[in-house]
Amino acid sequence: MALLDLVNLSKHFGKLQAVSDLDLSVTKGEIHGLIGPNGAGKSTVFNLITGFFPSTRGRIMFEGNDITKLKAHEIAQKGIARSFQQTFLFMQSTVLDNVMVGFHMSSRTGPLREVLHTPSACSKDRECRQQALEIMELMGLGAQKDELAGNLPHGHQRALGVSIALASNPTLLLMDEPVTGMTPTETQVMVERIRKIRDRGITIVLVEHSMRVVMNISDRITVLSYGRKIAEGLPQEVRQNNEVVEAYLGKEEN
Amino acid sequence: MSNAVKIAVGVLALLLIALPWLVNPYVLQVFMLTFTYSMLGLAFALTIKVGLPRFDLAAWFGVGAYSTALLMLKGGFSFWPALLIGGIIAVVLGCLIFVAAMPRGMMVFLMFGMATAMTIYQVFGTVRFFGGWSGTGVVPPPAIGPFTFVNKPELYYLGLFFLTINILVYHFLYNSRIGRAWNAIGSSLKLASSAGIDVVKYRMANVLIGNFFVAVAGGYFVAYSLVAAPANFGFHHSIFVMMYVFVGGLAHSLAGPIIGAFVLTFTPEYFRIAKEYESIITAIVMILIIIFMPMGILGLYDGRIRNRLARIKWLRRESRSEPEVPL
Repeated sequence: MALLDLVNLSKHFGKLQAVSDLDLSVTKGEIHGLIGPNGAGKSTVFNLITGFFPSTRGRIMFEGNDITKLKAHEIAQKGIARSFQQTFLFMQSTVLDNVMVGFHMSSRTGPLREVLHTPSACSKDRECRQQALEIMELMGLGAQKDELAGNLPHGHQRALGVSIALASNPTLLLMDEPVTGMTPTETQVMVERIRKIRDRGITIVLVEHSMRVVMNISDRITVLSYGRKIAEGLPQEVRQNNEVVEAYLGKEEN
Repeated sequence: MSNAVKIAVGVLALLLIALPWLVNPYVLQVFMLTFTYSMLGLAFALTIKVGLPRFDLAAWFGVGAYSTALLMLKGGFSFWPALLIGGIIAVVLGCLIFVAAMPRGMMVFLMFGMATAMTIYQVFGTVRFFGGWSGTGVVPPPAIGPFTFVNKPELYYLGLFFLTINILVYHFLYNSRIGRAWNAIGSSLKLASSAGIDVVKYRMANVLIGNFFVAVAGGYFVAYSLVAAPANFGFHHSIFVMMYVFVGGLAHSLAGPIIGAFVLTFTPEYFRIAKEYESIITAIVMILIIIFMPMGILGLYDGRIRNRLARIKWLRRESRSEPEVPL
């Protein structure tokens, strides 16, 4: 059984067909690349999966359950996390505080206990801080835990975005252009980290423009163009597919 | 909290407790007003935190005041249960309005807020049950057993009590998981939702908590004014409340509204002798503050004074390793 199943998924914005009749299956434990030229609908697919837009037609199945109509926070509670293309961070808070937000779901002890700062709430808080530090170490942010998020260099801000997503202990992680804007060195480091994340048992769907990264790291790749799937398969297969090459003809590759 | 903040708060607390021995009753009266408006400002800062600038605080202030007054006058309740019930009424009504308005978007929410404030003002004035434009009858003063809060120092301490409880509750909320969720919502709705935070639920809790404490402020108002009249709960009070928060400093959810309320309550009182020019002077003061201190009065502290104090290492030293929401 697939971990994530998109069945006949469509999204219209008025006359604009952002996504059309998309069938996509993600197997548990794989790194699944999602590529396509600009405007192909990749970010829209993420927005549909995470509940930021309602779909026009079709179903989204996660772990066998229909999550199509769920709200964004409910989908997060089911175990789907996302790192964003734009940098959504709490700029005025420290790195540690940022990651702690990701622990919102796991740190629940009950409103009264949280407000009164009972021992159980406080020890839960400490537990989460420990795990937060661990995640920050994984993402190379250990040294910056007290730094303000707004003061971090771009690459670290991206890593922080991923850390917050990891903090929610997801089963499925959707990564939206994680290495865009990074130097080759930073990119290589991030690729290694993505592998480590997969090794922890987290399934990953990766949207990325850098062909080298996607071909390198993905187990399977789906290619979108103008909202439709035009190819799917192993990286070698996709790379040689004529339609894919055509779709990218004239578009800049990284 | 750093040692500097601790010292400041400690000195302030001592001053406030000793105040009745230091100043005349008229000044105490102004402090009582400041306490009332501080509580309103604190509630506005509370909802700003989750990205909702609300226009309806004057309404709930009025609801609390009228509930307390009428429950005491016509229901025979004593002050404390009347106060509590007033708070509950504000929460229940607020819940209904929130559920009706929020799903329809931010614009509708804001409009509803304004409409609520204006409507309730009119209702208090026109519906005979509330006593008309001159207000309710005179309300008996609050009492605990045989002890009644009648003269200025007693009412002053009552206000200090309410304000302190208000601050403490907000402080504990802000520094809890709930407060963190609120911060997340205020910073980035998308990030908050992705972290599993139910934005609507947390916003509603935020608004309703504010409603409760604003209603309590209304009850306190009745305690020293001994009457509830519509003129005190007009829509313009909703706007004044926002000014307290902006003047004090938007970045400081607890200290900002209090300092803003203090400045904007004492300034008109100080210039009262100027009679009709008083409002012009107050307006000029507000404008000057917004121009020269865009981050509010506390913004000034954040900028220059804090850096100067930071050079004195002992003042800077933190006594807790866990990060906290700024005062």
